[in-house]
Amino acid sequence: MHHRPRPSFGCLFAATLALTGISQANDWTNWRGPLQNGVSLEHYTKAGKLDEKPAWSVDIRSRGTPVVVDGKVILWGYKGETTDLIELVTCLDAKTGKQLWQHEIPDFLSDSIYNRYSIGAPTIDPETKRIYLTSNAGNFVCYEIDGTKVFEIPMMEEFGRMTFPNSRVGSPVIEGEFVIVHFIFSNWGADGPAADRVYGFDKKTGELAWWTLPGVSPPVDSSFSTPVLETRDGKRVAYFTTGCGHIVCVNTHNGKPYWKMPICKNGVNPSVILHKGNLIAIHGDENVDNSEKGRMICIKLPEKLAAPVPPALEATTLEPSVEVWRNPIGATSSSPVLVGDVIYQLTDGAELFAIDANTGADLWKLKLSNANLHSSPLYIDGLLYCPMLEGKLVVVKPGEKSGEVVQEIKLEGDCLGAPSVCNGMLYVATTKHLYAFAIPNKGVKVDAAPKVEMPQAGKAVALQIIPAETVIMTGSKQAFRVRSVDANGLLVSPKVEGVKWETFIPPTAKVKATMDAKFNEAGELVVAADAKSSAGAFKATSPEGLFGTIRGRGLRNLPLVENFDEFDLKEDQPTEAIKFAYPPLPWIGARFKFDVREVAGAPGNKVFAKTFDRLLFQRGTVFVAPSHLSNYTMQADVMTDGSARAKSDIGLINQRYLICLRGNAGKLEISSNLERLKQEAVFKVIANTWYTLKTRVDVAKDGSGVVLAKIWDRAQPEPAAWTIEVKVPRAHTNGSPGIFGFTPLNQKRVYLDNLSVTPNK
Amino acid sequence: MTTKLSPLLAAALVATASLNAADYTQWGGGNTRNMVSEEKGLPIDFSPGKKYGPKAAPKEAGRLRPNAQDANKAPGAEDIDMSTTKNCLWVAKLGSQTYGTPMVANGQVYVGTNNESPRDEKHIGDRGIMMVFDEYTGQFKWQMVSPKMGSGKVNDWEYLGICASPTIVGDKAYVPSNRCQIVCLDVKGLSNGNQGMQDEGAFMAPLDKDGKPTAALTPGDIDADILWVYDMYKELGVFQHNATAGYPLVIDGKVFVPTCNGVDWTHTNIPSPNSPSFIMLDAEAGTLLGEMDHVASERVLHCSWSSPNSVDVDGKKQIVFAAGDGWVYSMAPETHKDAEGLDILNEFWRYDANPPEYRKNSAGEPIKYVEYDGPSEIIATPTIADGLVYVNIGQDPEHGEGVGCLSCIDPKGKGDLSGKALWTFKGIERTISTPAVKDGLVYAADYTGRLFCLDAKTGKEYWKFDTKGHIWASPLVADGKVWIGNEEGELFVLAEGKELKEITTIEFPSPLLSSVVAANGALYVTTHTHLYCFKEGAKTPEAK
Repeated sequence: MHHRPRPSFGCLFAATLALTGISQANDWTNWRGPLQNGVSLEHYTKAGKLDEKPAWSVDIRSRGTPVVVDGKVILWGYKGETTDLIELVTCLDAKTGKQLWQHEIPDFLSDSIYNRYSIGAPTIDPETKRIYLTSNAGNFVCYEIDGTKVFEIPMMEEFGRMTFPNSRVGSPVIEGEFVIVHFIFSNWGADGPAADRVYGFDKKTGELAWWTLPGVSPPVDSSFSTPVLETRDGKRVAYFTTGCGHIVCVNTHNGKPYWKMPICKNGVNPSVILHKGNLIAIHGDENVDNSEKGRMICIKLPEKLAAPVPPALEATTLEPSVEVWRNPIGATSSSPVLVGDVIYQLTDGAELFAIDANTGADLWKLKLSNANLHSSPLYIDGLLYCPMLEGKLVVVKPGEKSGEVVQEIKLEGDCLGAPSVCNGMLYVATTKHLYAFAIPNKGVKVDAAPKVEMPQAGKAVALQIIPAETVIMTGSKQAFRVRSVDANGLLVSPKVEGVKWETFIPPTAKVKATMDAKFNEAGELVVAADAKSSAGAFKATSPEGLFGTIRGRGLRNLPLVENFDEFDLKEDQPTEAIKFAYPPLPWIGARFKFDVREVAGAPGNKVFAKTFDRLLFQRGTVFVAPSHLSNYTMQADVMTDGSARAKSDIGLINQRYLICLRGNAGKLEISSNLERLKQEAVFKVIANTWYTLKTRVDVAKDGSGVVLAKIWDRAQPEPAAWTIEVKVPRAHTNGSPGIFGFTPLNQKRVYLDNLSVTPNK
Repeated sequence: MTTKLSPLLAAALVATASLNAADYTQWGGGNTRNMVSEEKGLPIDFSPGKKYGPKAAPKEAGRLRPNAQDANKAPGAEDIDMSTTKNCLWVAKLGSQTYGTPMVANGQVYVGTNNESPRDEKHIGDRGIMMVFDEYTGQFKWQMVSPKMGSGKVNDWEYLGICASPTIVGDKAYVPSNRCQIVCLDVKGLSNGNQGMQDEGAFMAPLDKDGKPTAALTPGDIDADILWVYDMYKELGVFQHNATAGYPLVIDGKVFVPTCNGVDWTHTNIPSPNSPSFIMLDAEAGTLLGEMDHVASERVLHCSWSSPNSVDVDGKKQIVFAAGDGWVYSMAPETHKDAEGLDILNEFWRYDANPPEYRKNSAGEPIKYVEYDGPSEIIATPTIADGLVYVNIGQDPEHGEGVGCLSCIDPKGKGDLSGKALWTFKGIERTISTPAVKDGLVYAADYTGRLFCLDAKTGKEYWKFDTKGHIWASPLVADGKVWIGNEEGELFVLAEGKELKEITTIEFPSPLLSSVVAANGALYVTTHTHLYCFKEGAKTPEAK
């Protein structure tokens, strides 16, 4: 991508050889720990109870888990309460709590509510010590351990990563040269329909290497289930549960989906555990085959894995016969902990269950509180540390037939994240503080961490081209790294020479689109200065006949002007008996939510209109240009159908601010997550009247800014004054221009025309 | 599949039951919504029994499968083995989530649930369901089927089903569907032909996998006979939040219902501030007669889900509605025209059920909604007893625990009665449970899981009992006892009176979110998945 650095090929090849981590075995580099199941490798000589007085605490609010590496604690948290709330990534000295560095990450345009921030954790690459984190708004960031930012990918604006009121974000996972995330994405083209998709990025550059849809679309909810990795059938694979209620298995090097299994009719959040060739998952919602809510299920993992053969795209669905056992226990978001042959699981009602991993039989249960949300226990040296929502840390000694509460420590704030541990120091976050408690001991021993079995690559069978998806502005170009991989996605050669490129239209594509761009002799994809805004794919074939594909969007530099008059209205909309055109293919999130059509009563006037045929899409956000843009003015004509009491909302997004005409409320509103910023000017909206909406964001040198917007009856001259001017102490400095439409229950349509995005002088 | 009693035994038990006078035809049993029953001789020693388990129908565990009728021929894994029950007349299988409290009228039992135990093979998948059973045998008779809206959680949360049960008046049943609609049904179903609205087939047609409407279905014998449907989002522009709820109040040919107008995904934006939160419909025609001033919509904190009640004051009928802005409004069943020509219900008084310190902190700054110490809406129903109004504040259980307040208001007042309650009790936390008042004592529960006994005149606390599980249900006072279930599936029976006395606790295998109902000598207990009818002397029938 145009604004991210690329490493040299040699550097990358070296990285792929460093297959296992080189950090200390007891570093806690991801929230599930070194065994991916909430169990510490530490043992203590003469361990005592926790000191009730914390060794240190800091005033950082969090709903997640701190991670630990090289004597440093990294916490994703937040500070503030209302308009001042901001997410934080903080690095602290593990022994003293002294702050070493801190970055602020502002939320924007998200649906997060009730200060539900930092539900997740950073992940540290044991090899490079780099820190990876997805912010609430979907900015995927990478820092060096010293706090230097390596890259930042605004996934909302570049890939259509969606946010939800539950604000569950979770954690990335590191796998060899990749860093992997999964969220609900509504990107462009074939990836326009929302789905729980996995994106695999080059961990050093942030370039997209592969992506996949392992479950089904549409999802019912989001999921923050953290992928669990293993080697199986000569492949590296990840298992996790999805927003579409499945357990899935995907290849972690090329994204090939191997299998899926529906277990729930809602999204599933807890992470899975692996036990003796079986996988154990839990959920708290509707089951697929009975009317009880919630289930823990153990399935036999398939020995052989096969990806779907094109034209098939969907992974195999496992038969119910793979079920080994089930237990009626349920949990919405707490993950199981596995110690030997015993599973420990917290329920939503804060009961701690011990379950036989071989049979699924209940061994014992113990009520710890009356509610648990998100948090999972941590097992260290014979004890379970269970943070409770009400703000207490309960230490349980699990026995064969019962569990015993050996200690309870009251904490200030709500506790939603799992604890972590390193060198006898226990870390636990609440919505008020991060606490460090010392586990008194006379010595720490650490079990050896299991060595990752990385399979050897076989014969090359395909090309893997990085970046796999790109955005190129007019007059710019993009270079690619063409690599060869074996049937299991494992790297064979980091550089394949002499490939031939050709335009590629997937056989399954509904819109046969091509990208207005050409490859030059150096193998770079060039978008000419006069190229049209376009999107499409290319196929590279090596001299040996290996091939791979990439896809991209060619977007015009500012000024961007679109009056929709060039669109050919050739699609039939039978329910409304009209002709329409699909929205511009390179626009993120537009498909099925908006179309281009004539306004009733104004033949020949083609406009951008909100669709009505799917109520799921009553609200739509579209990004029409990349996220690096700044300092531009947006203008468009807007209109809502309606009556005196029922109208709809239409707005523009300028540099991460939503400037929205709220039809029913009769106001022009400026927001960027409504709990963080919401200011409005009264403006009575008359239905079926065209207005012109204009916005600009001015950022001062000190980082403050003013969001300006004006609206007027299109038939009238532009007024001199802005309708609303909102001062913000810390302004967003860049962001994708976008369009917002919300037609409550699809009763009254909204329209937009004559869109322009022009650079400020 | 309903596990049934033999007809002979059923007939014998019917003979001992009292007649319709002890039916339970609406939420709270009457217009005052005071859940005090005159029933006597209710069973105290009873057991819900056990499920057959996978041995019954291993391939058809649960009832969710393409061909539901086949499955209904024999007991399934989730049906109750009646030989393991005690004093249980019958058990009916419901869906997977049930929030409706059953109603009992003219030999039929009505309850809102979801479609996770489908009764009809032409309706498979997520739906709102209102099932009707025979009161004496538990036999399934017919059901109303309401497809989902298709907009996801924001308007019509998956699998919540129909979150109320009907109010039955004569031969009509009034019930909210899950689609922001009020539906009037013929209590006889389609057995006496299709009366009123003829579009049942279109009403029941689900959305396809892309969320697009499908062709009309052909109604069958076990489908509901819909007389009329009032669409609150199409007619009034309402934006329903998460679910339709609230039990209709039917008085003098008028139906009073909340519209469930609320916030959107952001929980800050109110898409339809000009739409009403409360309306009055013509009970015969299903047409709009009047609406509440939309002030409650303009400042709604979350959604308006409470049920209205009625009290006569100085010879005038007051309709009392507790709204999503945390205020209680009292209105006459009469209207005036506003400037826009809308028919607005005449208001007697209004009362902010949130103490000022829940709205603003000591520095005068607003306290954030959903914060533990912040303001709440009202979801519980206000109770009328001895001419006074008792009302609790609370929030969607998803928001967790927080401060609460029980107010006792004299409805003789006029205008803004905020701060003028006869007493308030802040020892209670957030709740969606409706208080019951008997013999000068208020029984009120909070979401945290405590049941309180207070003096009805002063609010003085006599006792509190911690069930150690979240409470959604409302206490029933009947037969000298207080009955209440919790989220852990525990049914607590305590003695009525100023002294705390535990009588028994009976465990059920699924949460008890609906309230216990006593009618015609029987006790109805509803879990998420089953409706149990317990009756003293009910012999265990042969399992079928």
